[in-house]
Amino acid sequence: MERKIKVVMAKLGLDIHWRGAVVVSRMLRDEGMEVVYLGNQFPPQIVDAAIQEGADVIGLSTLSGNHLTLGPKVVELARERGLDVPVIMGGVIPEEDIPPLKEAGIAAVFGPETPIEAISSFIKKEVGYSTV
Amino acid sequence: MTTNKTTLFDQASIKQIQQEKERWERETLKGGAGEREYLTDSGIPVKLLYTPEDIQDFDYLRDLGFSGEPPYVRGVYPNMYRGRLFTVRQIAGFGTPEDTNQRFKFLLRNGATGTSVVLDLPTIRGYDSDDPEAEGQVGACGVAIDSLEDMEALYEGIPIEKVSSNIVTHLPSTTVVLMAMFVVMAEKRGIPLEMLSGTNQNDFLMETTIGSSLEVLPPRASFRLQCDAIEYASKHLPRWNPVSYNGYNLREAGTTAVQEVAVAIANAIATCEELIRRGNKIDDFAKRLSFFWNLFNDFFEEIAKCRASRLVWHELMRDRFHAQNPRSHLMRFHVQTAGITLTKVEPYNNIARSAIQGLAAVLGGAQSLHIDSFDEAYSAPTEESALISIRTQQILQVETNVVNTVDPLAGSYYVEYLTREMAKRIRNYIAEIESRGGLVACVESGWLHREISDFAYKTQQDIESGKRPIVGLNYFPQETPPQTKVEVFRYPENAERIQKEKLARLRATRNQARVKEILAELRRKCHEDTNLIPYIKEAVKAHATLGEIEEVFREEFGLWQFPLV
Repeated sequence: MERKIKVVMAKLGLDIHWRGAVVVSRMLRDEGMEVVYLGNQFPPQIVDAAIQEGADVIGLSTLSGNHLTLGPKVVELARERGLDVPVIMGGVIPEEDIPPLKEAGIAAVFGPETPIEAISSFIKKEVGYSTV
Repeated sequence: MTTNKTTLFDQASIKQIQQEKERWERETLKGGAGEREYLTDSGIPVKLLYTPEDIQDFDYLRDLGFSGEPPYVRGVYPNMYRGRLFTVRQIAGFGTPEDTNQRFKFLLRNGATGTSVVLDLPTIRGYDSDDPEAEGQVGACGVAIDSLEDMEALYEGIPIEKVSSNIVTHLPSTTVVLMAMFVVMAEKRGIPLEMLSGTNQNDFLMETTIGSSLEVLPPRASFRLQCDAIEYASKHLPRWNPVSYNGYNLREAGTTAVQEVAVAIANAIATCEELIRRGNKIDDFAKRLSFFWNLFNDFFEEIAKCRASRLVWHELMRDRFHAQNPRSHLMRFHVQTAGITLTKVEPYNNIARSAIQGLAAVLGGAQSLHIDSFDEAYSAPTEESALISIRTQQILQVETNVVNTVDPLAGSYYVEYLTREMAKRIRNYIAEIESRGGLVACVESGWLHREISDFAYKTQQDIESGKRPIVGLNYFPQETPPQTKVEVFRYPENAERIQKEKLARLRATRNQARVKEILAELRRKCHEDTNLIPYIKEAVKAHATLGEIEEVFREEFGLWQFPLV
């Protein structure tokens, strides 16, 4: 059965820059996905929402330097609660922080200027089915 | 001012220019004006060439005049930068107050002429460093301030009676506490409050529209605190700017240049009306209202925006609020160059972008300037990149000679046309906001959030389709982008531990009964039509923390969910 890919998108913690997360959310909708934008949230609320919504993907946006602490926490909580979906991150994240994030289970990190096509095709590949 | 008309062009000359222009188009230009539509960044159509015809009813004394006189298009002070150069005010803020104090001293040693501090996100949102919500975020993206003691450490050794202090307090709920801490610090140092000069941001749009958190104070409560801070400063801090109406972050989030100015002015209108309702006179406070603009790459539009914003403000003070003090008519503004225009790819190109935006600020008549650092798409600025920003400002001030004459682009047919067109569009957008019940109502309904998100979305589509060219990104991108080695700034890792230890010490040594008593008093006053600042000052003196005071606001005013877009 074909259904829309569902993405739960959140700003991580107290970060105040929402432009990237909102724009990416709208563009993923253009790509045929269903996007639930949560606004600013902490890891437990993000995982709760992803479970309730039956998310296929969790998208996290950060600019404030909290990526190394709060990003992996989302993965950890999701795994604890049996939610096995890719967690992807975007925003201002230094290159050298990408390997540790991946080690902690983050599926992909997209920096500024990533075309939406790159994010969308990554999600489609990870989730394993395409949109309706 | 003379009542005779001082039009620059007579009708016969205009007619002759029109005829000659038609001939020129036919014989010389021959359809060479280009195929596509040319627009400014905010969507104003741009002609190939401007002539007196485009400003044919231009009246010099009415529309332009002289600097330091109405309508202030040419600048707020008569001698502008010859009298006082724009303040070199680079933002700093990271780690503990002690860490940021060191950066302040580095910047001042190298020629910064004012300080500007940004706060970490827990502080902005009113959480102490030991709050669970603050975990992993203490001292990141700004400095952590929890108590009066931290405020004192931040400005240790800095003569705040001489060097002006900008505090990027973002939200009114944080402003009222940090401003009170700053004032109490000055009182303890024995500095008369009339000597304090500086600015705090204090914009309820930062709480309700731009700076989002899980939940924030409702728009009306936040707006009330914004007005409390302005009212207090108008009575006690004559040289302090108690608000910096923040066009900057609106623009970063996604507005045109026109919307940026219109929304900020609509906010000022709302403030003026509220303070007048409280029994203040316009001239008691309007002279200290200040603004904050974001300058993008559309060079002439940004300069025209600065000029137009002064004109619209003056008209408003003259015709709507009938301000008598000329100082109330002066729109003074700080400029920060546009962070969002900086690219991660080929980062050194950002030095050129920021320098051009900084030049526009100078030609636009800014009072104070921050030039963004080239590494912003990587991290907060390193010491090296912050120094390049200061050096760029100094090159503008002493090597280019652009500061030696006032408003040098005045009289350009294009710049004058564009200034008037921008002013017209700003007035229209303000009228639209007012027709929707004013700015506070536009925030409550989520209308403003939608306007911002729609524009951000459209801009991104234009970048992805190549319609909006960005050098090195979608315009001549390199097949293999060079791996420029950019040194990344690292936030100090021990800030959270140090701040927690300080808080534990503070809570163990202060007079708990006094803290409890004054917080209870503040709680009661939240529900009265009274200014809260004196009660907050008492709480600060008793060493109540920022988080404890904010908790009172959260409980008494309730929380509001940012409309998701």
